[in-house]
Amino acid sequence: MNMNLGTRGALTFRLGDFSFAVRVEEAGGVLDAERLAHLPCVAESVAGVAAFRGEMVPVVDLAVYLGIETQGLPGPRYALVLTRGVDRFALLIPEIPKLVLGRDLREAPASAVDPELGELFESELETDQDHFHCLNYWKIFESMIPPSGAAGPGRSSTERGN
Amino acid sequence: MLGRREDDRGGSAGPSAVLVTFATAVLAGAAGIILAGLAAWVWVGAITFGGAYLASRTSRGVKAESPLKARRLLLMLDRGGSQEAKAPVEFTEEWGTLYERLNKMALEARTSSTALAELERFRQQANLAASILRDGKDPLTEAPELRVGPLQSLLEGIKSAASTPVVSRLPLGEEELIGTDGEGLPPTWPKPTGESSPRGPAIAEGVARGLRNLVQDLEALGATLGGEGRRPTTPGGENPDLRSPAQLVDAVVLTAADGIEDLAAGLMRANELASVAERVTNRATLLALNAALEATRSGSEAFAAIAEETRRLAEFAREATDTISRLASEIEYKVGETITAIHATSEHAKTSLAEMSGAATPLPASARSARAQIGKLLDRARELQRALNTPSSDRVGGDPMAGPNSVQEHVENDPPPADKLPAEGILLIEGLKPGARLES
Repeated sequence: MNMNLGTRGALTFRLGDFSFAVRVEEAGGVLDAERLAHLPCVAESVAGVAAFRGEMVPVVDLAVYLGIETQGLPGPRYALVLTRGVDRFALLIPEIPKLVLGRDLREAPASAVDPELGELFESELETDQDHFHCLNYWKIFESMIPPSGAAGPGRSSTERGN
Repeated sequence: MLGRREDDRGGSAGPSAVLVTFATAVLAGAAGIILAGLAAWVWVGAITFGGAYLASRTSRGVKAESPLKARRLLLMLDRGGSQEAKAPVEFTEEWGTLYERLNKMALEARTSSTALAELERFRQQANLAASILRDGKDPLTEAPELRVGPLQSLLEGIKSAASTPVVSRLPLGEEELIGTDGEGLPPTWPKPTGESSPRGPAIAEGVARGLRNLVQDLEALGATLGGEGRRPTTPGGENPDLRSPAQLVDAVVLTAADGIEDLAAGLMRANELASVAERVTNRATLLALNAALEATRSGSEAFAAIAEETRRLAEFAREATDTISRLASEIEYKVGETITAIHATSEHAKTSLAEMSGAATPLPASARSARAQIGKLLDRARELQRALNTPSSDRVGGDPMAGPNSVQEHVENDPPPADKLPAEGILLIEGLKPGARLES
């Protein structure tokens, strides 16, 4: 375990030409997203809601939000659930994420950071074959669905879905 | 002069005028009597002839015809059987009605009977005649029904040929070649008229053999034209023995295509099951991932070990599912290629067969078979006709003892021209045509 990395591992997935990673401490689980309940009057990047262990979880289409074009026919989709305390939301991804243990990960140098990600970028992990972007996913979610008690809905300047 | 003449007249007119008057009265009475008698005789004759005419008219219906006239009229009745046939002038009253009735019956019998029925009747008669000939007996004597059939002339010719010394055109034996190279004939040949000729039984045997062949060919023709339904057929009702090569190619292609289509249907079902297995594998993979995620988060090594086993199981299921899907796709692709190749090969085979047969659309097999059998039948009939023609045309002027040279001059090996076919041969050939009237 690489304790210097601050994580036991990460769930990695590809979205278009980019690779992303979610630390296992933030991940609550992965579920099948073939059946999503669509919500009316919501942002386009909100794909709907899914049931995860008896609770309703909003699902955010990360590709739509980031403006990443995914090639190929629409196939099976999966929802990667992120947890923070009692709050949960899910990222809609086109493939089953891979679990990369912390011993195989290391922090990437700062020069490798993609400048387009801006404020959403949190860190970057890499292995011997690939490197992954770790984003502030909760910031993306709160930009679309602000937490209760916040001052009205609004999208931050980092919203790139439209 | 005038006064003297009047005097002359007055002096000589007294007794002659009375005589003339008396004679005239007598002649007038006689003429009246004669005319009255003649008129009476005319009336009597007219009444007599009228009565006789009326008597003949009223008695004609019940009057019996003479035996000779009745026989002649009965013979004329047999000329019926045509729709355009009218009653001859010899027929009146009941004879005309009878003629019309018989003509109608003959016409109905002719139009209602099919060619196959006639062929079957002819075949039975020929078979009967052949069996009697094999026994060395006379068919006309043994079977009375043959005296009125189409084989009557044929059998009479056989009978006459068997009792008359002849020189046949057929290669009946070595004795036929005697004398052809200039050598003298044996002194005992030809045999006297009173003895039975050795060629008679030979001709009869030849005719019997020809009849047997004729019977066999007729049976084959009847089976081809009307007996197809009695032959063993495929479940689709088609006789496999009568299919053309192109139809056989089509049948093979259809059979192979059916089998391959069944295989393709099985592959589709396998693909469906593979997709189900893939979904199960995805579930297992998600389960293994969630277990590994929880184990990683908790840091429990035991939980991590179980999660690792679950992950391996999910990977194994994934590999198996991928292998099944890949094999199914390969088999499906090869099946498609095979179907295409089979269709291309069948088209090529049919084209080649059409080129070999010289026709783009070959005739039906049954039509070709029937045509070939009819051709063979006519050949047999002509051969039989030649065998029968020899005794009637090659007889040596009624005197077989005229000399060896005169006999040798009539030895011929060439067949007669077609326009000189005898009546028996024409009857036989005409009788074999479909729809021909076989009654004599």
